[in-house]
Amino acid sequence: MAEQRVPRALATAAAAKIPKMARANLSATVRAKDEGKKVAYSFIVVGQDEIMRAMDIVPAWGESFSGISAAKRDAEKYLQRAEADNFSRSLCTYATCNIGFDMWREELGGAMPPDAPWGGIGRPDMILGTAQQLCDPRYKWPQATRHYLRDVPVFIGGMYYPAWDPKIDHKTQEEYYVKYNTAELHRCVEFCEKHTGKKMDWDRLASVVDLTDRTWNLFVETYELRKTIPCPMDTGDAMNTMVPMAFMLGTQESYDFFLALNAELKEKIAAKQGVVENEKYRLLWGAGLPSWFALSDFQYFNDKGAVFPVETTYRCYEPVYNLDLPKTSDPLEHIAWRWVRFWTHWYDKARKRPGSTPAVERLIDYIEDYKCNGVVFHSAFSCRSWHAGILLQAEILKKVYPEIPVLIMEGDIVDISSYNEADTHNRIDAFIETLEAYKQKQR
Amino acid sequence: MSVTNGNGLAKAKEYCSEYGLRAKELKAEGRQIIGYLTAIAPVEILTAAGVVPFRLKGWVSEPITKADAHMETIVCPFVRNVFDSALKGKYSFLDGMAMPHLCDSIDRTNDVWSYNLDLPYWHFLNIPHVTDDPSIEFTKSVLRSFITSLEGFTGRKITDQAIVEAVKQHNENRSLMRDLYSLRKENPPLISGVEMMEVMVAAMSLPVDESSALIKSVIEEVKRREPPAGKKAPRIMIVGGQIDNVAVAEVIENANAWLVMDDITMGSKAYWPTTDITPDPLQGIAERYLRKVRVATTYIDTGDTYEENLEARFGHMKRYINEFKVDGVILFVYKYCDPYGFDVPAMKSFIEETGTPVLYLEDEYSTSSLSRVKTRVEAFLEMIA
Ligand code: SF4
Ligand code: SF4
Repeated sequence: MAEQRVPRALATAAAAKIPKMARANLSATVRAKDEGKKVAYSFIVVGQDEIMRAMDIVPAWGESFSGISAAKRDAEKYLQRAEADNFSRSLCTYATCNIGFDMWREELGGAMPPDAPWGGIGRPDMILGTAQQLCDPRYKWPQATRHYLRDVPVFIGGMYYPAWDPKIDHKTQEEYYVKYNTAELHRCVEFCEKHTGKKMDWDRLASVVDLTDRTWNLFVETYELRKTIPCPMDTGDAMNTMVPMAFMLGTQESYDFFLALNAELKEKIAAKQGVVENEKYRLLWGAGLPSWFALSDFQYFNDKGAVFPVETTYRCYEPVYNLDLPKTSDPLEHIAWRWVRFWTHWYDKARKRPGSTPAVERLIDYIEDYKCNGVVFHSAFSCRSWHAGILLQAEILKKVYPEIPVLIMEGDIVDISSYNEADTHNRIDAFIETLEAYKQKQR
Repeated sequence: MSVTNGNGLAKAKEYCSEYGLRAKELKAEGRQIIGYLTAIAPVEILTAAGVVPFRLKGWVSEPITKADAHMETIVCPFVRNVFDSALKGKYSFLDGMAMPHLCDSIDRTNDVWSYNLDLPYWHFLNIPHVTDDPSIEFTKSVLRSFITSLEGFTGRKITDQAIVEAVKQHNENRSLMRDLYSLRKENPPLISGVEMMEVMVAAMSLPVDESSALIKSVIEEVKRREPPAGKKAPRIMIVGGQIDNVAVAEVIENANAWLVMDDITMGSKAYWPTTDITPDPLQGIAERYLRKVRVATTYIDTGDTYEENLEARFGHMKRYINEFKVDGVILFVYKYCDPYGFDVPAMKSFIEETGTPVLYLEDEYSTSSLSRVKTRVEAFLEMIA
């Protein structure tokens, strides 16, 4: 993220701060040992951030390191190492990129591999993963990493939410899901206590959880400012501004970042300043992680008069006041409720529109709230978690909602070999023509 | 029941090549057929519900023609092929499906299946990957929701007694299959790998009592056989996820080797673990699917050291290698399969450390890629001969 071959013209000053923040996150993991802190390989959107923050564990985000390596077009050397030890090229490339890096560092006796992007990522003292909130690599990647880092302990905790079923009221299942997730978060705390030698400060955790709630609220309130026409901030920027949310949740710095972004967007709105001059098309980034090595494609859209005021990617948050969370004195139970309610909060709406699904209701909400006239999906071949099911979303959207142009792009997050810039631009050009025809028809 | 003594192998071959034949007959007789995928669907509960549990397989020799419009090509090719087969109407006799959460390829396509097949009954079960006590408790709740939804569908109560009976039947079925496996320990084995695959495929398409009768019949038939004359050939074990056809077994055995053992979900992974009968029958079922069925999505972290952890994860393979006198192991993993794919380096080196050579193949679940598989297998067999 954050750094690309052809720098995107960042629309917000906030996004311009991101490379420095992402780099600081990485160097914190390298510095930690000298500072007497423990480092944990960690995963985003799994509910463990607040535990780490409350215990001063430095999170080392493999997903961030791979994204940065990809954005610098410098991932291939790691992918090849993993492949040489029989990791298939079809596996999650965030994982194989990191594992290739780990393999190299172990070969060097723990020394940082040469020319590691932004100084590399620190060797962990522990690995925290989950099964299943989000994907298989969230527990298979730690397990595979341990094959190379044999002394590093791994914690995997269960984290689930009720599956969507139009015939079942998920509220009848919520409680046992929350009970389970809470128990697993408690196991996570025990593991961290054991491997840091420190006890959890529960009051501190409670205040980190409160800060996180407020950050969830502020994040969405800020992003909702993008409903304005012309739109003051694009998805291309959001792929940067995700950093304080995904990788720094539970820190004051993250909250302050969104305060600043909020103020900046309000200023832009007051000055009627949009990302695109003469905004012609408003698009929803419907699903998919981006090709980190080709973020300049967002600029290409912008150059054609198209802007993305909203995206589902990295928007795994909702104001907690909309989630109606039951009161509890256990901060871990609060975290569990927050995630279960987040994943299921489109279910009731989907039940009301026969043939629809929660993912499609979410798209419809965004299309309407942000006045979008097209939807773009990106299907990355190496990640099933976010990218399997996109065809179905497009198919259902077409059936349950008035016709709207849809583009599905194909590529990868890290593996550049699947990318062809000219082809991508041709597809975007054709889509813009479709959008134009659609707009004409609507007039 | 249509199996008569003495012709079990022929019957198995028939059920294997005309997959679903018996389910169609049962459907015509008024039985309800509930399909499922993988080795972690709790079949005991389906049996206790009085429906016919029917495991879905793919058609490895058929190209995918319908699925691509609805399901991404980044999904594991096995799942895509089975889905394609369902779209083509090969499973038109199904009344519904029970879909266990095994992996992303299944979890993330659950809606794709349910939406496109639009069967009267559908239920997704969140079976966890971790195996601690809270996971067992959670699984019991997941099973209770499953029972409630099945009762709603069939209109019949599922009693604890019926579950216990079903557990006994499935345990007997597993025990019989293990007896059949033991006939492979002979050198040469009394039953070939191809025949064994046919029996296993047939067995998963039948109600449990019929499946047991079929296996019994095969055992009797095989026991009566003269040991095959003299062919001295390497003994191979195959390891992987969803291998549900004879194609690879044929490649191996046509190349002058015996397929004598497997660690696959249609085979030993499903038949080795039994279900304990516990005061709350769901406890034993939860424990079986979480702690005993060893699929790549079962997260095992026992052992103080990494080496002990490897032993806990893969130690059973070592035992199989000794018991079945295995000379070489083939790891057969599908493209886009994260769970098995991430295991390959650890699994390969673990087995190699036993002194047994390993061939790792990444496959696409299609006979069209079989010539490449054949060349690699032949070279491997030559190497270990
Ligand atoms: S969500 Fe996708 S890209 Fe991220 S770790 Fe999981 S499989 Fe990889
Ligand atoms: S082969 Fe792998 S990806 Fe396919 S269903 Fe099995 S575990 Fe899932």
